[in-house]
Amino acid sequence: MIETMFGSLYAMLMSPHMMGLMLLAVAIGLVVGVTPGIGGRLSIALAIPFVFGMEMIPGAVFLLTMHAVNGTSGQISSIMFGVPGDGDDAATTIDGYPMAKKGEAGRALGASVTASGIGGIVGAVVFAIMIPVLEPVVMAFSPAEFFLLALLGITFIAFLAGREQIFKGLIVGLFGMMLATVGTDPNTGTPRFAGDFLFLWDGVSLITAVLALFAIPEMIALAVKGGSISSVSRETASYSYRQLFEGVMEVPRHWWLALRTSVIGAVVGMIPGLGSSAAAWFCYGHAVQTSKTPERFGKGAVEGVIAPETGSNAREGGALLPTLFFGIPASSGMAVLMGAFLILGIQPGPTMITERLDLVWTLIWALVVGNLIAVTFLLFIMRWVALLTFVNGAMLVPFIVVMAVTGSYVSEGQWQNLVVLVVLSVVGYGLLRFNWPRAPFVIGIVLGKIAEESLHKALELWGLSFFTRPLSLVLIGLIVATIGYAVYRNIKPRTAGAQRAVTP
Amino acid sequence: MSRISRLLTLAGGLIASALLAAPAPAQSGADFFKGKTITYIVATSPGGGYDTYGRLVAEYMQRHLPGSTVVVRNMPGAGHMIGANAIFAAKPDGLTIGTFNTGLIYNQLIGQSAARFDLERMSWIGKAANDARVITIAQQSPIMSYRDLAAQKRPVNFAAAGIGSAAYVETVMLTAVLKLPIKLLTGYNGNADMLAMRRGEVVGTISARSTWEPFVRNGYARYIAQIGGDQTDVPQLATLVTDSAAKALIALIQTQCDVSRLTAGPPGIPADRLAALRSAYRMAMEDRELLTKTEKLGLPIEPAYGDTVLQMIKGALQQSPETVALLAEALKKK
Repeated sequence: MIETMFGSLYAMLMSPHMMGLMLLAVAIGLVVGVTPGIGGRLSIALAIPFVFGMEMIPGAVFLLTMHAVNGTSGQISSIMFGVPGDGDDAATTIDGYPMAKKGEAGRALGASVTASGIGGIVGAVVFAIMIPVLEPVVMAFSPAEFFLLALLGITFIAFLAGREQIFKGLIVGLFGMMLATVGTDPNTGTPRFAGDFLFLWDGVSLITAVLALFAIPEMIALAVKGGSISSVSRETASYSYRQLFEGVMEVPRHWWLALRTSVIGAVVGMIPGLGSSAAAWFCYGHAVQTSKTPERFGKGAVEGVIAPETGSNAREGGALLPTLFFGIPASSGMAVLMGAFLILGIQPGPTMITERLDLVWTLIWALVVGNLIAVTFLLFIMRWVALLTFVNGAMLVPFIVVMAVTGSYVSEGQWQNLVVLVVLSVVGYGLLRFNWPRAPFVIGIVLGKIAEESLHKALELWGLSFFTRPLSLVLIGLIVATIGYAVYRNIKPRTAGAQRAVTP
Repeated sequence: MSRISRLLTLAGGLIASALLAAPAPAQSGADFFKGKTITYIVATSPGGGYDTYGRLVAEYMQRHLPGSTVVVRNMPGAGHMIGANAIFAAKPDGLTIGTFNTGLIYNQLIGQSAARFDLERMSWIGKAANDARVITIAQQSPIMSYRDLAAQKRPVNFAAAGIGSAAYVETVMLTAVLKLPIKLLTGYNGNADMLAMRRGEVVGTISARSTWEPFVRNGYARYIAQIGGDQTDVPQLATLVTDSAAKALIALIQTQCDVSRLTAGPPGIPADRLAALRSAYRMAMEDRELLTKTEKLGLPIEPAYGDTVLQMIKGALQQSPETVALLAEALKKK
């Protein structure tokens, strides 16, 4: 076991061919990740013709590395311009972009890149540890648990919105859940609020909604305000490697949080059916909920950058587990990856662990090494990237709006989404202008759909008695505790706030 | 060219795939396509069977239409209807073709208003495979045969993806006509049905065999009956029933199985260009390199071309009012 474990690492590091392929995979993965609307799925689908001739192990390492580092670069535009590449990057935007506005883009990027790397590595470790208990863990989660998990995520809204904004947060969250009901009803097959508009039959495009709520309003605000994204001038902000390094050091300073969110991300990734954006949002919610100073979130708290980034990269390690050992892909990205594995002659299934242990370890190490390469590379170039936040907005805004519009169109290839983009941008700008929270919206739209679908299924399977399943009871306990804690915190600090008001 | 440099073109290809162009004047036959870009619409998102077949067909049609470039464009949504509508409405200059689920025959049969296509009028280029339907039963279930299933006293849970999906429609119709004790649960998208079977939440499905091969090979489930396909390891459902209504229904589903992974264009493509597209498609299907690849992927290739496919589609669209009523019932909102 130990011999196979390190033997495969040694074989990988010592092969110039493998390392060359990994470097290339990292570069492609990062480039694809930067572009909003083009997901990792498409990159693998397009890479398939190129891996036909490859040998099994190099081919698998190449594809997995490309897929794994995809999320690492998506955060750059989220932090710098408030343009999330997809649903999980949106969680990073909430605190990352305010940091850039404060002139701390370097610090935010340093922290997020490091957090992604750590997340990816912890995800690989969780992968290795979970192999023996994969079966019972994955089998424990049925639609009943999905419903309760989604509900738990929705209760995080109470923390996200901040104390005085809890009602605003709930309204925005419910608006998100309302939009999640657009599309084909999972229970009756009737198009709801979609009529004959086929592009709405699968629901409102998540990437379009996220771009409309975050990217476009921020760009309007920047154009109205004038100047650059960073409100601090380039001279006063320490934009150099020092600021970047400070950001990197934020991760070890919050190591306990980073570890917890990595594990949460990996476990969410393991459970097929929760959707890929859920991991980042669970982790963000967890960070806010466990913070002693939740009011800092949304205004540029570094924990708000670390948590979703560790979570979304750790997810890949987790998602690989059921893909490899059950042959059941946990996400659409993994489904494409599995298709490519079949081409290479890898037969995912329970025999992997007995017959192809060397391959399993090589893939685990590929996750670790690929993430390390990506982090080193990004940290090296970040210094120059961060400078863009000091560029005059008049020059930047047109480019970023074009990027956002392209992202909205390319993700599904339907022009009608541009209309949705405009309409929701108006809503988004209104929320920004009048200082309403926007994060609950994404939680609503992401988790609302999961909650609805799984509630239907759970009720059909077990009727109301699904609440009494053992794991369900645990989750119900967690939900009650979360709500109780929110209420408690809502009452308690009010006295502290009152005192502060007296002594300004 | 080395593999590395071919890989380098990938990043460029990613961007190119998003940007498409196409107008052109007319010439004749294969010459027309020299220097032209053909858009091949795949009615699903990247990844999965339709995308894989689509990309292979595009790649090898390009090879056999010298001087042309075939670009794949994914247009997912509304159970293949967005893509099919787009192909049907495209300019019939031969520069837009594509693939979608044959199950759309059902949508056309009941005259669904969102289905803005007429399959009978489309320019049929070919089809790549047969995709048998199978009744798959979870390994831990005591149901060993079709007879066992039919004899169940209490309804057993079956899974299907969205309502209106081909597998859903077929399961509902078979359940009604064969009077099977099946309770159908929907919303198991992607591979969620496999996991649900492993958990024991559902006992089986009626769906495309190609999807279930790895799952069954891993020993998680077994087939008890099959419709269509040339495999002989599973009894054909048609041999297990006697009722004539049931046999008619099974025949309808079998036409679906026979025309799988199709390629078609909008109505009215000029005859010489259509002939060139059909011959390129035929050469692609007979290309040794393509066959090696599909064999590696475990994707069957059982092609048919042009008018043969058109006749199959025409046949499938001729259904008795009883069958149409049954379909309408299956697709009716709960």
